[in-house]
Amino acid sequence: MADYGGGNYMDNIVFELKDVYFSYLGKFPALCGLDIKINRGQKISIIGANGSGKSTFLQMLDGLIFADKGSVSFYGQQLNEKKFNDCKFSQDFRSKVGFIFQNSDVQLFCPTVKEDIVFGPLQLGVEKDQIKKRLEKLCAALKIEELLERPVYQLSIGEKRKVAIASTLIIDPQILILDEPTAGLDPLTTRNIVDLLIEENNAGKTIITATHDLHIVDEVSDIVYVFGQQRSVVKSGTAADILNDLALLQENNLVHIHSHRHKGRVHIHPHLHSGHYVDDHQ
Amino acid sequence: MRSNNFVERSIAGMLFFLKDTIFSEECALRKGFLQSLDPRVKIASFFLFILQALLSGSIRPLLFLYAFSLCLVLISRINLGLFLRRTWIFIPLFSLFIALPAVFGPGEALFSWHILGIGFVATRQGLGAAAIFVARVITCVSFVVLLSLTTKHFELLKVLRIFKIPQIFITILGMCYRYIYLFIGIIQNAYLAIKSRIGVGVKYRQGQDIVGWHIVSLWERSVGLNEEVYKAMLSRGYQGEPVVWNDFKTRGRDYFWLTTVVAIIWII
Repeated sequence: MADYGGGNYMDNIVFELKDVYFSYLGKFPALCGLDIKINRGQKISIIGANGSGKSTFLQMLDGLIFADKGSVSFYGQQLNEKKFNDCKFSQDFRSKVGFIFQNSDVQLFCPTVKEDIVFGPLQLGVEKDQIKKRLEKLCAALKIEELLERPVYQLSIGEKRKVAIASTLIIDPQILILDEPTAGLDPLTTRNIVDLLIEENNAGKTIITATHDLHIVDEVSDIVYVFGQQRSVVKSGTAADILNDLALLQENNLVHIHSHRHKGRVHIHPHLHSGHYVDDHQ
Repeated sequence: MRSNNFVERSIAGMLFFLKDTIFSEECALRKGFLQSLDPRVKIASFFLFILQALLSGSIRPLLFLYAFSLCLVLISRINLGLFLRRTWIFIPLFSLFIALPAVFGPGEALFSWHILGIGFVATRQGLGAAAIFVARVITCVSFVVLLSLTTKHFELLKVLRIFKIPQIFITILGMCYRYIYLFIGIIQNAYLAIKSRIGVGVKYRQGQDIVGWHIVSLWERSVGLNEEVYKAMLSRGYQGEPVVWNDFKTRGRDYFWLTTVVAIIWII
């Protein structure tokens, strides 16, 4: 960490966004006036309806797109295209920040699982012995040893997600950014991923997660940011603060009210968006 | 209705053929003799066999090589019927039509017949030349099909490196191979979605429009995917020249096989 920032204060702030604006093709606004600070070792969640700018925000943190206006800094250094043209900085940044894409088919572009997992560390110049050790450890932890020689297109969605996570974790990044890590997964795989994130956070990693799945928010967040339809932060706070604010969640399409059958009777109350789980069965 | 069924059958047939021939890799995953060899050694040895077949001027070495390829089929646990179908399908296409005129070349007449007043005379030398040509083609095709059946496609791509092909091209080929499967799925689902909404009674003009929209939509998806995949590569440290994992291992059996191949070629 010593190569970034000046004093202890700067060392502790991983990302700092000041009044950030971004639009696609210069006419479709995606982020409008974001001010966010993310400290080292924190668990951050970004929640919001579709089109609220969550994925854009994460891509900006990973240095894949850059702000039209305002600044994004990483350990005190402003992120821009010019900065990433410096190979040394780029390599250092990529080995510290790992990004797991929402669509695993995008992230897994090699012919086999093994080649996909080792792609990152190979580009970053990690020694082959070290890569082998990390690969063995990760495969055992995620139970994907059997998949290594298989082509990616033969995997199920859950297996693809695990491989995508492995392909990022093998870089051993200090900061892990996840875009909808549990979308479309069965409950057991979701649980495994949440456990893994908690474990990584306990090991000192900063975890930044964008999700619709309010069931995992409490466990993967110290601070929750709610993105609204105006593509900016509507409210931030602890998971408890946010999840108990039903008016806020309703206003931002994160809960909905409808009748359904429960314990043999039909009744009406707010529901979480994901998977029709019930948040408030009184 | 007939034309719609024809289109449906053609699309389904093409997609099935692609999945079956390119993506199944069922034979390559079996534990047979050729599957156990280092792909680099296998390709080098098959190259020598094909070169020998091309340079052979008589039928005997060609028949020996063909018989040898059939033995390799058996010890590599490949269904002989499947192999013969895959190889002989090429013969009418690539050699029979070319070899046929040679049968009537100059030489000692064997038999003759007349069609529409035109006389045809098959000669011993002509038949011999045609037989050598067909034997040469079937032998070469057999080794190529055997190689593709017993080697995983991504390994074939990796071996291209020994021919000094730049890694970037090999990576792009690998990605094409990876994403064609994804797009096959998209085409199949899109076709089913169209069918579920409009049925099969589509007029010719409307059908053309639908296919046109579908091509545009597929193109847009492909461009979008291209951008996203590039971001995913950047995110994991890609800087313009991909570094790849080369874990090929040459063992004792590979050296033994290579020595055997050289000895066979020397003898015949």
